[in-house]
Amino acid sequence: MSSPASTIHSTKIPLSALPWLPRPAGKMRDRLAALPTEPMAALLFLQSLAQAGWGEADLGLLGRKISRILRSAPADFASEVRRHGLTQARILILSASTASHLSDALIGTAIRFKFLLDVTVAEYEEPEPWLERNRSELKENPPDFVLVASDSRMLKLTSQLGDEAAAAQMVGAALARIARIAEVAGAATGRPVILQTLAGDPDAISFNMDLGLPGSPRFLTDEFNRSLVQRARQDSRIVLDVNALASLVGHSAWSAGRYWYAAKYPFATTMIPLYADNVMRIIAAQMGRSRRVLVLDLDNTLWGGIVGDDGIEGLALGSGSALGEAHSALQRMAISLKERGIILCVSSKNDEAIALDAFRNHPEMILKEDDIVAFRVNWEDKAANIKAIADAIDLGLDSFVFLDDNPAERKRVRDALPSVAVPELPEDPSEWLGVFHAAGYFEQSGFSKEDQQRAGFYKANALRAARLERIGDHDEYLRSLSMTLSIAPFDGAGRKRIAQLISKSNQFNVTTRRYSETEIEAMQSNSEVLTLQARLEDIFGDNGMISAVICRQTGRIWEVDTWIMSCRVLGRRVEETILQYLVEQARVRGISEIIGRYIPTAKNGLVRDHFSKLGFVQTGSQNGETTWQLAIASYGEKDLPLKVALPRA
Amino acid sequence: MVHVSDNLSDSDVILAKLQDVFRAELDDEDLVIAPDTSQKNLKGWDSLAHIRLVSGIESEFDIQFSLAEIEQTSSVRQFVQLIEERSR
Repeated sequence: MSSPASTIHSTKIPLSALPWLPRPAGKMRDRLAALPTEPMAALLFLQSLAQAGWGEADLGLLGRKISRILRSAPADFASEVRRHGLTQARILILSASTASHLSDALIGTAIRFKFLLDVTVAEYEEPEPWLERNRSELKENPPDFVLVASDSRMLKLTSQLGDEAAAAQMVGAALARIARIAEVAGAATGRPVILQTLAGDPDAISFNMDLGLPGSPRFLTDEFNRSLVQRARQDSRIVLDVNALASLVGHSAWSAGRYWYAAKYPFATTMIPLYADNVMRIIAAQMGRSRRVLVLDLDNTLWGGIVGDDGIEGLALGSGSALGEAHSALQRMAISLKERGIILCVSSKNDEAIALDAFRNHPEMILKEDDIVAFRVNWEDKAANIKAIADAIDLGLDSFVFLDDNPAERKRVRDALPSVAVPELPEDPSEWLGVFHAAGYFEQSGFSKEDQQRAGFYKANALRAARLERIGDHDEYLRSLSMTLSIAPFDGAGRKRIAQLISKSNQFNVTTRRYSETEIEAMQSNSEVLTLQARLEDIFGDNGMISAVICRQTGRIWEVDTWIMSCRVLGRRVEETILQYLVEQARVRGISEIIGRYIPTAKNGLVRDHFSKLGFVQTGSQNGETTWQLAIASYGEKDLPLKVALPRA
Repeated sequence: MVHVSDNLSDSDVILAKLQDVFRAELDDEDLVIAPDTSQKNLKGWDSLAHIRLVSGIESEFDIQFSLAEIEQTSSVRQFVQLIEERSR
């Protein structure tokens, strides 16, 4: 999927044109002339085309091509698509304005995120009656996501100027309405609901004092937005912060103006690529596709100058030079990403001793050696180094972002490792952060304690690896870790992290079934479902919640609906310990057998033999999907290096 | 395929570019338009398609229509005239 797009641009690209993507080479129409006829080849061609920053009309063309291919695709196309790493998903957009003009561009954007999106639009209508009318259809064939695309025209926030109580009542009523729509949509589909904040209306009157004046348009919009996001957090809804997008590009640029008057477009057509990108990054985050690792270059990226030539004292970093301030700001950004759970690594063409010396001895370094999980500082190819980092910390290349000032290095890495995100950057380092943040690579839909601790987990893993190297014998090493596996059914305290595991695990995931928090909550009280969450602790610390299992009971049989585990704890015999626990539970509850199912995707080859390794017997196989059976009576107890702790009854 | 030069004063060139926009926005790769093509005789050129066409033409020719022009334009001939006026 090499991108032939050009990387050289002299004029400043507005954020609405996604400047972090390479600029398109040539015209979409001309490029499409080379579209292969075979459907899978055609999709992959379109996917590679989609990597550039196309405008709204071209994204639309791209999207229509994709839809057409899918419409005429052969019957067994879905599994082929999955094997190529593309995920099919359906989104329902509820809008009281126009929304159908967004569909094609959304589909054209989605393929850049490795999604084949199907868009259903309900427009020009208040969402409530539409949902009511389509209730049974929604239940039967639920979309994967519902986007409530409300805007200020739909909500019509107005109240008496200066009357605080009336303003609060107005906002409360609008909020209650959105909550009700989300509730109905969530209940009807059982799927995550995305809510939007409101962009300010640039056509509305606004004096400087208005943010503090109850009843003014500014006041009402602001109050609504603040309350909406708080409520969304409580109710586990997802937020698309349209107001932040409008602020990013300027409210008057965002506003549809004449397009609103002529066709009820909620925002300007030039903003469609940015909007679509944000919808997709939210969906990707929900499905575990957001990025988790930032690999940084050193010379002229982390600091100004070339440390090998200029020496530590010659670097532009920190107070004292304007350029140095810009590089300090980049380091501060890296620290704040680390606080959000992003893993920081370094890949640089340098002498390692010299580079480390700068880390240790430059007084203005904000990033410390300890903040970096993996260093690859040598004279080898950067793509090879990034690949080596991915292997060392056991994360897929599609969780990586590579930040480098050098356009040639960027292009090389992009060509060699197409799944790594490599943002284009303006020439001036003082403009980097705005572009980088707008790219939103690390979008997260929730924040859990695990996120904060993640870098620590990966560091501890590096320590464990060192210990294993010293001890040599794997079993002896495992025993030396003094591991305790705490197993408990799903509960309220663990729900956020369980939902995160279920939505994000792609590799150690036998069925790749996704469940929303609401569905997970429903399982807690369902007596037909056995749920299990597991945390792992050892001498290097707490690994956090690392596994979840869902079994559905039919008669005296359990079928494993979901079995996921964090790849951080591979090779620790956690799976075997969990199975042993399941067997004990099965015996207590009179279960006679456990059925397992493996559904292959492009990412879960790791668990193809999961059930076989655990002693299950294969009972079926179709299109790569396999079924397995374990008779409880035939299971022989194992001596395992993990202690199991259960919650006190 | 029609090859176009950058000289916008030629109404044939404008027509060829317009045809590309019409094909894209109306999702019909074989569509052939003529100056007489209008909202009345072209199926699919409804009010929503009209706005998509306007948006597509604006970005293709890097021009902007006024609200009144958007409302009053209903044929290919009128679009060609407006584009010619703008690029003069």
